[in-house]
Amino acid sequence: MKKNFPASVRLTLSLIAAVGVFFLLFWLEGQRTEQGMLISILQKSVILSIAAVSMNLLTGFTGLFSLGQAGFMAIGAYVTGLIAMPVSSVDNVFYVSGMADGLRSFKESLSVLPTPLLITLALLAGGLIAAIFAALVGIPVLRLKSDYLAIATLGFSEIVRAIIAAPQLDRITNGSYGLKAIPGFDSGGGRGSLLIPFGVAVACITFIVLLIRSSYGRAFKAIREDEIAAEAMGIGLFKHKQLAFIISSFFTAISGGLLAMFMRSIDARAFQVTLTYDILLIVVIGGIGSITGSIVGAFLVTFAKEWWLRFFDQPLVINGFKVPLLRTGFRMVVFSIFLMLIVLFYRKGLMGNREFSWYRLLSWPARIGRRKKSLPSGDEEALK
Amino acid sequence: MKKQALVLTLLLALALLLGACGPATTTTTASPDETPAGSTAPPDSQDKATEPAPAGDKVIKIGVFQPTTGENGGGGFQELLGTRYGNEKIPTVEINGETYKIELVEVDNKSDRTEAPIAAQSLISSNVSVIIGSYGSAVSIAGGEIFKDAKVAAIAPSATNPQVTRDNDFYFRVCFLDPFQGTVMAAFAREEGAEKAAVITQLGDDYSSGLGNFFLKAFKDAGGEIVADEKFQTNQTDFKAILTNVKAAEPDVIFAPSSITTAPLLIQQARELGIEAKIMAGDTWENQSIVDNAREHAEGVSISTFFDENDVSNTAAKDFVVGFKEFLNGNPEYLSKNGGDGVAAVSALGYDAYCVAVEAIKKANSTDPVAIRDALVTLDYADGVTGAISFDENGDAKKDMAYIKVVEDGAFKFLKTVKVGD
Repeated sequence: MKKNFPASVRLTLSLIAAVGVFFLLFWLEGQRTEQGMLISILQKSVILSIAAVSMNLLTGFTGLFSLGQAGFMAIGAYVTGLIAMPVSSVDNVFYVSGMADGLRSFKESLSVLPTPLLITLALLAGGLIAAIFAALVGIPVLRLKSDYLAIATLGFSEIVRAIIAAPQLDRITNGSYGLKAIPGFDSGGGRGSLLIPFGVAVACITFIVLLIRSSYGRAFKAIREDEIAAEAMGIGLFKHKQLAFIISSFFTAISGGLLAMFMRSIDARAFQVTLTYDILLIVVIGGIGSITGSIVGAFLVTFAKEWWLRFFDQPLVINGFKVPLLRTGFRMVVFSIFLMLIVLFYRKGLMGNREFSWYRLLSWPARIGRRKKSLPSGDEEALK
Repeated sequence: MKKQALVLTLLLALALLLGACGPATTTTTASPDETPAGSTAPPDSQDKATEPAPAGDKVIKIGVFQPTTGENGGGGFQELLGTRYGNEKIPTVEINGETYKIELVEVDNKSDRTEAPIAAQSLISSNVSVIIGSYGSAVSIAGGEIFKDAKVAAIAPSATNPQVTRDNDFYFRVCFLDPFQGTVMAAFAREEGAEKAAVITQLGDDYSSGLGNFFLKAFKDAGGEIVADEKFQTNQTDFKAILTNVKAAEPDVIFAPSSITTAPLLIQQARELGIEAKIMAGDTWENQSIVDNAREHAEGVSISTFFDENDVSNTAAKDFVVGFKEFLNGNPEYLSKNGGDGVAAVSALGYDAYCVAVEAIKKANSTDPVAIRDALVTLDYADGVTGAISFDENGDAKKDMAYIKVVEDGAFKFLKTVKVGD
């Protein structure tokens, strides 16, 4: 039996934390000029956390090792970008071949909607289209296991990228030239640059958590542990794998749509395999099979990569002594060393397969203290 | 237990390292309470401007948004060198009778569109007054949205894609555009007697595809025929398949704008397949490493570019070339990364962009980014190394001349200038 606080205490703590975070974000949003960097990094972190959690749903909970994330994010990003882009910018963006007439009139008919509604619709449409692709691709691909599945989905994501950049689609996706003028999070009235992505993330992640706790989630875990045993227990293998794949792709595409809104301008090259690896990295660092881990991992990796380590790129002189090695690009070396350390010493990631719990968090100092006590007592005596 | 001890030791060592390097962070991310106007310099600023600040402790920051790693790292660095040279030459500016030291805040956007927004944001957070960059149109476009939102003007030295400045009142550029460059190269190809042309472009790259497309249109308009239009993927290293198609089409000229890394492979493989056609490309190819890597195969490759170091008609250019060569020779790292002491056009543009930024600061007489932007709109800078610079309503430099260079005996030789009337 796991130790924990009673439900009422947990709920109160969570509510207080949620309200605290809400007001913190609300306050930060108003500090755009001073805290721009922090805001950008929080945005990117939370967007990647959605992608990481949905990847974890597949890899950590259903045992399907898929590497198609970048492809689904590309679908989400392009659909969102195309729908949300204002009609007035179309001619400037599609400056080479123009936009296909059908698409243009579709956009014109949509332009009567207010911006927030249009963006919501755009994100959902991106998710749905990605889900349809996932359903179709899933039929042949999900029959494969482990590495083979990874390779097949990787291939799919590369195909998506190639198709988007194909000159034949110039009038729809703008081919090589990419999309521009995608509205940002705060386009609907100056606020929301943090609350919108965080709100979407909370909704998506809550859904995934509820799914994992439902009977479907238990079926996913059964499949992860042993496919044959699960089948013998009456779990429809294909149906459940397909379900996990579609839902994961849906949310991955939503995070892709948010990424498009974050970047404001996208092209197919932004969705290369490295994007998938970034997300995989977050999942592994956070802990495969831990939702909390994926979220923490997303924030940790993004903050480290984009901010905390940035000073490694700057030359530094202390008392006339030029510190060696500090130069552009060194940041990534340090980052890689960090990764190796984490993978070597925390082989299960930061969280293993545990989830966040108030009890563990609040008892953390006590546990450290207990660990110290178990050391040979002589040291403690000596300290006193 | 042993393992935990090890982890702790490592963590402590890292913490020490972080602590020791702590003060450096202030140079990149200025504390929030600093106002953009006239912030004071952190005590241990930078080693970039090698000489000490001549007067006062007022500092104005100019952001440099360049790729120094990644696909375009080489060209980005050359452009950065031009800007650094500018900073060495003009380290201060007078605002309201006070001398301000100009500090460059450099950030690497890694030639990557996904990295660009945060790199751009980090410049904004450092309270820069104006921004120079970037090499490569895609990252400029990505950063442009951030600069526009933050209302900080940016000056692109060599981003030639029309999209960079369109729809963006805060982006300016000191070079010509791809439609112009495409037209110039098409005209040049026709002058050389080419009837049939093949175009090879990189899929998913707006610079390459855009320029290829403009060439294609201009060449057709000039009465030529396009016999092949081939595309390749980013990071592709084997071009035999598309080159075989090109060979079968028997073009007189191949126009293949692409990045510096792919160029030598493409040239070499074309010649190995026995393609005799003249190979042409845009401004990116003006990089000595292409010639060095493609060796004898590169002979005869022609490109259009912004600047020629042997152009004696422009006194500003003459002074720049002499000074810049000295600057390069003074630092072995610069020299090796630049591939000798040749003066690349992008270095000249990086220098010009810096000078234009300084002029705009002088004219605005303020460190306020919006005032500097307004000053840029009407700026008329006559002493540009690459020609006089003033901006049209899009923020593009009004330039009507391109330099054609050709590779001869392993080096770029100036061939002629081409002017295109409106």
